[in-house]
Amino acid sequence: MTLIETTQALRAGKVSSAELTEECLKRIESLNPRLNAFLTVTAEIAREQALQADRERRSGMDRGPLHGIPIAHKDLFCTAGVRTTSGSKVFENHVPKFDAAIVERLREAGAVMLGKTSMHEHAYGITCDNPHYGAVHNPWDLARIPGGSSGGAAAAVAAGLCLLGTGSDTGGSIRVPASYCGVTGIKPTFGLVSKFGALPLGFSLDHAGPIARTVRDVAVSLAAMAGPDKRDPNSAHRHADDLLPPDEIPSLAGVKIGIPENFFYERIDLQVDNAVHFMAYRAQDLGAELVPLRVPDGRQLNTISQITLLVEAAAVHEPYIRKQRKLYGDDVRALIDMGRVIPGVDYVQAQRLRRRAQEVYRSILMQVDCLLVPATPITAPNIGQTEVAIGGETEDVRIATTRLVRGINALGLPSLAMPAGFTRGGMPIGMQLIGRAFGEKELLRIGAALEDATGHTKLRPGIAGE
Amino acid sequence: MRDWTTTAAGLKIEITEKMLKTLEGLDKNMLGLRGLIDWQEEPILLCTMPAPEDEAE
Repeated sequence: MTLIETTQALRAGKVSSAELTEECLKRIESLNPRLNAFLTVTAEIAREQALQADRERRSGMDRGPLHGIPIAHKDLFCTAGVRTTSGSKVFENHVPKFDAAIVERLREAGAVMLGKTSMHEHAYGITCDNPHYGAVHNPWDLARIPGGSSGGAAAAVAAGLCLLGTGSDTGGSIRVPASYCGVTGIKPTFGLVSKFGALPLGFSLDHAGPIARTVRDVAVSLAAMAGPDKRDPNSAHRHADDLLPPDEIPSLAGVKIGIPENFFYERIDLQVDNAVHFMAYRAQDLGAELVPLRVPDGRQLNTISQITLLVEAAAVHEPYIRKQRKLYGDDVRALIDMGRVIPGVDYVQAQRLRRRAQEVYRSILMQVDCLLVPATPITAPNIGQTEVAIGGETEDVRIATTRLVRGINALGLPSLAMPAGFTRGGMPIGMQLIGRAFGEKELLRIGAALEDATGHTKLRPGIAGE
Repeated sequence: MRDWTTTAAGLKIEITEKMLKTLEGLDKNMLGLRGLIDWQEEPILLCTMPAPEDEAE
């Protein structure tokens, strides 16, 4: 069942939150040894919260669509009294005294916390091949990565271990695992969801958001997470209560969808290209107008984003890297070292260029409602694979994986990642809809219409049926 | 081009071939991008973290 279907079942009294929670805990016990999607399971807390949700429901209280729904938090969101490692050895014994804002909000919405999900070390990478806690496995093929850094959350949702996973996205960390695991995730507009209590990586690029099976699942989850928070200086004065698309969206008439002629569709796997174009044509069938256009060179935007992240992450890790250098994995240590070497003048110039790029994208998104592009140029690579051949060229897996998502973080624009189909070998293909600032409602409506028209989210990995 | 190895050595950081390649690539791209900078821009703007403007409605 999807999150929305489960909510309906709970409201109709067909199932209790306690029963759902027990089922999820049983699935975690059975499947997590193969997936490594959960780092910490909080069974006692989950059972207690589920019983509370059932008691409230019996007394006539309904906290909303997440009331009694079993969820999991990425292990970089602080949870009071529950270890929060950020997938690192540095924070191996870190037990916060407070909840992160989204943990707090989801608890207030009645969600049941099953535990904390595995992630790439410090959220600084996309493989989730964690040197301290082991590799996370893709439910569609256990030999492959789930993507990252929120790979545990995406794997858990895809395998049916939970109905919602919280994620963070600094350079694609929600959208990449959504793409590789065949689930849905949204990187909201910068500031829409509070980052209070989220262990930072790149403070001007970090975004928090949901990963769930369907667009409507993501819509209700985002609505529960979003809203102003004085504790987060980047928090926008925006609420997002009403994001759920209608049950039926018969037409996309009047919607203009931009299809970039450059960058986003260059050097991508042929099957990915075909699947994402097919989704664009489905949108056209539904009445949307496809508008071919050109975007600024994405390599430039990626450079701006990469310099910003390298320097900000080096600044964030300054207190730890000097004294606890040996506690870092090789790949993350190298990235932090690179950030320490980059001159301050480059960071400042990157911010100037970033502002300019924001203006250009703003004008592009005045012409169209959104851009429809692939989320990743490839499908999930194997665990341990470092290079991939695309269109006859060999590329670093990390660079290839983040190539189409990284720059959007520098723009702060919302981007919805959702399934666009499958390869002949049965691996999920992901696309993204990039929209205007605070245009989540429209993005989710377009996404839901496409989801209804294609039914890709109905297909599940074999492990989900076990 | 910058001498990354010397800069890193000054900070007691050891640069691998892969790191060097990445840094050189970023440096090269930034050199090209400097042509796009608006040098008349008010520097104070850079002290404010860019937040997306509200255009959805």
